Amino acid sequence: MALVSGPGRAGSSVLPDELQLAIQAHVKYIQSLDTRRDELEYWLTEHLRLNGLYWGLTALHLLNRPSALPRQETIDFVLSCQAENGGFGAAPGHDAHLLSTVSGVQILGMVDGFEELEKRGKVVKVGGGEYRGKEAVGRYLAGLQNRETGTFTGDEWGEEDTRFLYAGLNALSLLGLLELVDVDLAVDYIVSCANFDGGYGVSPGAESHSGQIFACLAALSIAGRIDTVDKDKLGQWLSERQVDAGGLNGRPEKMEDVCYSWWVASSLTMIGRLHWIDGAKLSAFILKCQDPEGGGFADRPGDMVDVFHTCFGIAGLSLLDFEGLEEVDAVYCMPKKVLERILGPRYGEND
Amino acid sequence: MAPKGSKAPKARPKPPDPPKEYPTIADELLAAYQESRPYQTLAASKGIQNLTANEKACYAHAVFLETGAWRSWPAATQNEFWKTIQSEKIPIPLPKPQDLGRDTRGIEVGKYTPAEFKLYLRREREIEGLLGKTMGYLRAIMAAKEHSPRVLELTEHIISMNAAHYTVWLYRSQTLLALNSSIPAELEWVNNVALDNQKNYQIWHHRQILVEHLVQDVGSDEGKLRELGKSEVAFMKEMFDEDAKNYHVWSYRQWLVRKLDLWQKGEIEDCERLLREDVRNNSAWAHRFFVVFSNPRYCTEGSKATEFDGGIPDEILDREIEFSKAACFEAPQNQSPWNYLRGVLKKGGRKLVSLECFAGEFVKIPEKEGEGEEDVKSSHALDFLADAWAEKGEREKADRALRLLGDKYDRIRKNYWDWRRALLKSDGGGLGGIEGQFVVGAKLFGH
Repeated sequence: MALVSGPGRAGSSVLPDELQLAIQAHVKYIQSLDTRRDELEYWLTEHLRLNGLYWGLTALHLLNRPSALPRQETIDFVLSCQAENGGFGAAPGHDAHLLSTVSGVQILGMVDGFEELEKRGKVVKVGGGEYRGKEAVGRYLAGLQNRETGTFTGDEWGEEDTRFLYAGLNALSLLGLLELVDVDLAVDYIVSCANFDGGYGVSPGAESHSGQIFACLAALSIAGRIDTVDKDKLGQWLSERQVDAGGLNGRPEKMEDVCYSWWVASSLTMIGRLHWIDGAKLSAFILKCQDPEGGGFADRPGDMVDVFHTCFGIAGLSLLDFEGLEEVDAVYCMPKKVLERILGPRYGEND
Repeated sequence: MAPKGSKAPKARPKPPDPPKEYPTIADELLAAYQESRPYQTLAASKGIQNLTANEKACYAHAVFLETGAWRSWPAATQNEFWKTIQSEKIPIPLPKPQDLGRDTRGIEVGKYTPAEFKLYLRREREIEGLLGKTMGYLRAIMAAKEHSPRVLELTEHIISMNAAHYTVWLYRSQTLLALNSSIPAELEWVNNVALDNQKNYQIWHHRQILVEHLVQDVGSDEGKLRELGKSEVAFMKEMFDEDAKNYHVWSYRQWLVRKLDLWQKGEIEDCERLLREDVRNNSAWAHRFFVVFSNPRYCTEGSKATEFDGGIPDEILDREIEFSKAACFEAPQNQSPWNYLRGVLKKGGRKLVSLECFAGEFVKIPEKEGEGEEDVKSSHALDFLADAWAEKGEREKADRALRLLGDKYDRIRKNYWDWRRALLKSDGGGLGGIEGQFVVGAKLFGH
């Protein structure tokens, strides 16, 4: 999936009083993304291709159009990105990276493709053992955990970030292989990232940031340890992210942006405090960021649309129970239905 | 032998003169489209029934061409068809021009002049081809695990085109270390790349790897470590001049403070300088909290940012309180110093009530409801007072403050303020108030 921005601009036409979601236009927009190979930006964003496919596919699922991208081609592409060490690269031939691996696993999960991974995935030999399918991917992911601090690195080169920790737990739990890592140690690391203002940052002592808060809360939810969070203090900080225009920002005194509709609102959902913000104002803001004719969402009204903001704009609307959308899960940013299939019907009962 | 009918012959070259000039490429493409279908235009203007027999036949042929219907005919019929096309010189209709989209600056490509469009296409193809070729070249070198000076040249070249490619950075640092290249020279180069790519985070990880090695090389040479700290901080100042809230730079800075033991070496002064420039810079506030309350000289080891720490000297707590108070006066509606104040009080184990008078400077509420208008200069001050009053057990005053917030000063979060009111009624405590926590604790233990 290409990340080429445009061609449309958000909110460039006069919208009716009652804001509508241009479902058809968004579906078409996402379907058209991979046909733009003749544009420079397509090649400049090659390192995000698998992430892009996840964003596009998630948006389509939430729009109730899960078959709008051909299933077999999707599976073939994901499998063609798998590297020799079991992880997934951003595109065929790229080195494996944690962030593209989690996207690969999420995509396969959404299109019910784990069986094909078992059949056709790379066979990896490590330390006398031979692993295939899900387990080959799981071993790669588990190898990225730092067994002293509990956190994860993005690749074999050692960059650490709470986003990576979440991504690791996300993919391993979907594969049913959480037992390959030290979950308690990972939880301790997240707890050490909590800040005086109630938020979480990229590492201990780093500024609170809505994106990192999402990652930390989602990781804690997967680990079943959301009880470690000071929900009231964090809920207050998160709800303060709503600006008068209705949108949400990532940090105090920053501009609002559609992707924070997801990072902030999903975080509030995970701690049961989504009602602390004005949902009607937020959905009105998100809808103003769509291009109702060409499809797609931008970060703010008047800016260029792209697939990243399209995914998180639609996911934000789904959290707010917008009519006609499939229900999204706040922890995985995937349809709830899909997670019930993968993780069992009891998943989500404790929400 | 007759030509095989399944393949369309080349379009008849357009008459070369006069070379018409069009204001935009979209106009030119539209004109070419219309020129390629003269019979359809004729039929549309005259009406099909008014065409001559010959015109009608040509029109029918042109429509078959445009729809592609002829492709399903038997070969013999196709041959006849193409003979007529050639003898009558019927042009092959061009496809209807598509929207050309927008360029990376958001400008509609269709609005380019034809000359600009030519340049645009050439530039796009050049960069695309170049990038593809060099990446392919690098992949071959990586597969052969070659670490040579030409890798440095090649990766520099690719990074100049696309700095977001993590594989390229990884291979570059591996090669640098394998070749024992000069790290200061590399840092110098990275500085420029970072200044040109504000949002890139791979650069900062690369920098971390470089500095890590430099520190190992330097060993315990205090003077050299000090120099390194100074030059890194000087470079970060350049970055902050561009964007003083750059998250990657601040995370790197915290790593550096720990690595080079910079706790007492100008960090607080730097935060102050940045806050003088913009008192709303939340990143600078967060960094200040980090250097003040994680300093191993006096902080209790392992004390979390959210916890009371008995090791913090009173004069430091007082200094931080005075600093935040001044910032609140400067911009009363700025939430950063109010959050900071609460954080300092928590660290020092002090009550919110100790700052009741200060917060009261921003809020005037008449003693009794309905006796004149209130005057609120900061919703954060009102929030602070609500907690301070709850701490003192003055529930009614606290409730009135919370009501004002939900109904008037922060209506977008009315549900939150209502919840706070309910909390006040249920346990008499405010959010984070020491007394409130005691009550909750007592409940838990069944007292």
